Amino acid sequence: MTWRRRSLDDLDADIRDHLERETQDNIDRGMTPHEARDAARRAFGNIAMTTEDTRAVWIPVWLDQLLQDARYGLRTLRRAPAFSIVVILTLGLGIGLNTAVFSVFNAVLLRPLAYPSPERLVSVSNYGAGLVSGMEAVGLTDFQSWREQATAAFDKLAAYQSSEQAVVTPDSAEQARLAWVSDDFWDIAAAGPALGRLPRPGERDVLVLSHAYFERRFQGDPRIVGSSAVVQGRQLLIAGVLPAAFRFQFPEPVQPQLGPAPIDGYRSMTLTRVPRPAANLVNVVGRLRPGATLEGARAELDTVRTRIAKADPFPIADELKLRVVALQDRLVGQAKPALRVLLAAVIFVLLIASVNIANLLLARASARQREIAIRVSMGAGRGRLLRQYVVESTILALAGGAAGVLVARAGLISLVGLFPLAVPRLTEAAIDSRALAFAMSASIGTAALFGLAPALALRRSNVHDLLKDGSRGSTGPGRLRLRRALVAIELALAAVLLCSAGLMIRSIWLLRAHAGGQSPQQILVMQVRFSGSRYPAQPARRAYADEALRRIAALPGVRAASLTTDRDFFTHAVVEGAPPLTEGEMMRAAPEMLIATSAAFAPAMGLRLIAGRWITDREATPAVAINETAARRQFPGQNPLGRRIGLPLFPQPPFPQPAERSLATVVGVVADVKYSKLDATPDAELYVPYATAPLLVAFSFVVRVDGDPLTLAPAIRKAVAEIDKTQPIFGVMTLEQALADSIAPRRFNLILLGTFAASALLLALIGIYGVIAYAVAQRTHEIGVRMALGAQRRQVVRMVVRQGMAIAVTGIALGIAAALAVTRVLASLLYEVTPTDPATFAGVAIILAATALAACGGPAMKAALVDPIVALRCE
Amino acid sequence: MLQGTLDLLILQTLLPGPAHGHDIMKAIGQSSDQVLQVEQGSLYPALHRLIKRGWIEFDHGTSENNRRAKYYRLTPKGRKQLAVETTKWETLARAIARVLRPV
Repeated sequence: MTWRRRSLDDLDADIRDHLERETQDNIDRGMTPHEARDAARRAFGNIAMTTEDTRAVWIPVWLDQLLQDARYGLRTLRRAPAFSIVVILTLGLGIGLNTAVFSVFNAVLLRPLAYPSPERLVSVSNYGAGLVSGMEAVGLTDFQSWREQATAAFDKLAAYQSSEQAVVTPDSAEQARLAWVSDDFWDIAAAGPALGRLPRPGERDVLVLSHAYFERRFQGDPRIVGSSAVVQGRQLLIAGVLPAAFRFQFPEPVQPQLGPAPIDGYRSMTLTRVPRPAANLVNVVGRLRPGATLEGARAELDTVRTRIAKADPFPIADELKLRVVALQDRLVGQAKPALRVLLAAVIFVLLIASVNIANLLLARASARQREIAIRVSMGAGRGRLLRQYVVESTILALAGGAAGVLVARAGLISLVGLFPLAVPRLTEAAIDSRALAFAMSASIGTAALFGLAPALALRRSNVHDLLKDGSRGSTGPGRLRLRRALVAIELALAAVLLCSAGLMIRSIWLLRAHAGGQSPQQILVMQVRFSGSRYPAQPARRAYADEALRRIAALPGVRAASLTTDRDFFTHAVVEGAPPLTEGEMMRAAPEMLIATSAAFAPAMGLRLIAGRWITDREATPAVAINETAARRQFPGQNPLGRRIGLPLFPQPPFPQPAERSLATVVGVVADVKYSKLDATPDAELYVPYATAPLLVAFSFVVRVDGDPLTLAPAIRKAVAEIDKTQPIFGVMTLEQALADSIAPRRFNLILLGTFAASALLLALIGIYGVIAYAVAQRTHEIGVRMALGAQRRQVVRMVVRQGMAIAVTGIALGIAAALAVTRVLASLLYEVTPTDPATFAGVAIILAATALAACGGPAMKAALVDPIVALRCE
Repeated sequence: MLQGTLDLLILQTLLPGPAHGHDIMKAIGQSSDQVLQVEQGSLYPALHRLIKRGWIEFDHGTSENNRRAKYYRLTPKGRKQLAVETTKWETLARAIARVLRPV
């Protein structure tokens, strides 16, 4: 290259030298110096052409011209910094949002699981009658039969079950999310230990820590390996630590009330035979043998099930349906529709950005018409001019793409920070090489798209007219029409996005409107799960609960302290006098949820009493309060008060064995509330005093406080810890936060769609402002004439606004029509809102119209302030 | 002038020793009794083509009137090429002569 450059370097000097020698020769021949120089030049011919021809020897012409174009392009972009910055930022926003969403899409749906032969991994589950709706699980006994008998299709079958447990070491007691895993789990996950070892086949009571938990709880101290911890009263050996790179990519826990959370530790599950129908529910995953199909696996499992069912006194199997799906589908299948919608929505944003940029480029092309005309008249070919545009667009696209990668990175970090668990595998999302390739191709694709507009405009331009037109360089009506059409399209796209986001907002709003409890931000909830040998039986547990409630209630700032069991005890209420359910009917019927709670629960939660009274802590005879759904189901069209329901209750102290079923009198009916999962339909609920609860394994304190709940939380924690410091309380948060967490996936979708819609609105605003401001600038002269002829400022304003609103109304109408056709795809993501909700659509139309009006305001004012004298003199 | 002949003429002109562009042009004119007039515009692209092929190189020298000038000279490769080109040209010239004046 240096050799080449050197060869070319002094070409000009060389030619000059040549000319001087020729001139000298001519003088020697007797010409005057002037004649001599002219003759030399004539003889040489076109110097510029010679130079170009010579350069062409060294550098391929196209490359040379491309470099020229690029240099020229950079120079022109630098000369219009405002334009360049707006374009690069617009593009950065579009590309950035797209790249971020693509990274999520890639991590969640495209990237294979981190285990060997991911395509052969399957999830096996039962669902249907007898299980709570939405629950998918397998009885441990079924799993054991499958594992022993379904060996033709399955290479490995593993069971796991996760739960919250207190992990007690000599130093501290802390709640952790533990997974019990059967031996084959380690084969399927192909995991190896970073420290220590994994459980040996059949080894009982072994705990393996996740790397994050090892770092967090034990400060990464390797001496912890080999020591022991107590979980559920059993001494577990901490055998090893998993590597930081190990990922738990399996479906969420079978208990619906247990939300997603990272697994802290893995406990060995030993498979001892449990008699059916002991409902020990587990998740089952398997690895198919090479060549085995999902259908084959399903058929084999069905055969085994039928065989078991024949020998079984409780034929639960025929009520349940079997589901065998690819593990990847089970894991992220639910996130798929939402992610597809988000990807489509974000592509809309990029389209809007492209349209906006095309518009800006068109405006610029108008401003550059004279330059172009001069270049054409000097002999520049259309192809060369076109290439100039393409090169400039590409430079902008690459700069915008680079800005986009930064936007994507920041967006992804905040997204994962806000909603780490809203979508499975979300934390794996990163700007990797695939995302970069996506950003790159999106930039180039967009450049091709928006570079097209000025190129098309160029096709129509006519040099003669342009040069003749004089300094104003005004635009033909055709080009402005194209720009208006583009803005209308932009508004239409924004309208579709806004309608989608609006429907999501309405859904969340309706969810919140249904939320149980008054002012949930004033309610603090925290969980307790009994662990250890101190609480072997109910009396000790009740005593603990009594004492804790007494201490919490005594704290200043606490208005009401109550407790409620987790929503995990299902029963079948039998109304006195009604025919008893058969075993089969009981299996099919939707169960009622039995909740043990306290007298302060109603005031703490703000429950609305519909009839009768709330329960007290010491009822003389067994009493039960029911919610509206239970009242509707059990007592349709009747007054439930005073009726009696058979429930598996303990009678009052001194706690003998529970009667088969105690009859509890219905004392009150309360309104349905949602205090665990906002978007679930309310269950039928039966509230009994915790003194008579059949089981008190885990419960939550529900405390209504004055002032900021979280400042009170440490005091409550301390008060409870004073009773027993080995009994941790965990998950302390406000009810509002807990409810928000319960709909994290919806909020994730809303935040993203909302961001897209806001971006679209902003871009549309810029777009419409740009066109109107440009139109006003172009018409300054005409406006001056009008005003000189007596037009009022008001009329001028109206003229400008009318022009802008004509575009806006067309765009909004188009957009609403398109949204009506498109929002159907959102149906599965909405809650109690139809995809064509008229209120939402009307609201969007109004917002967009107001935005357009605001965008017209500035240019209209500018038009009104035109000074006719100045405008006319400008000519 | 025939395609490729300019290259041959330049190489031949440089055979006695280095020369700058203007000299080359003049020399061609003089030695052909002004029959062959080099188009000046095509001289420089041709020189650079020959540099690129490695047949000639250049030096910066000081000319008789004390000006910096570029002197082109033949490389060994160029010398060989000259022989090849000359043979080719002679063959061609003989062939044309035979066609024009059949014996």
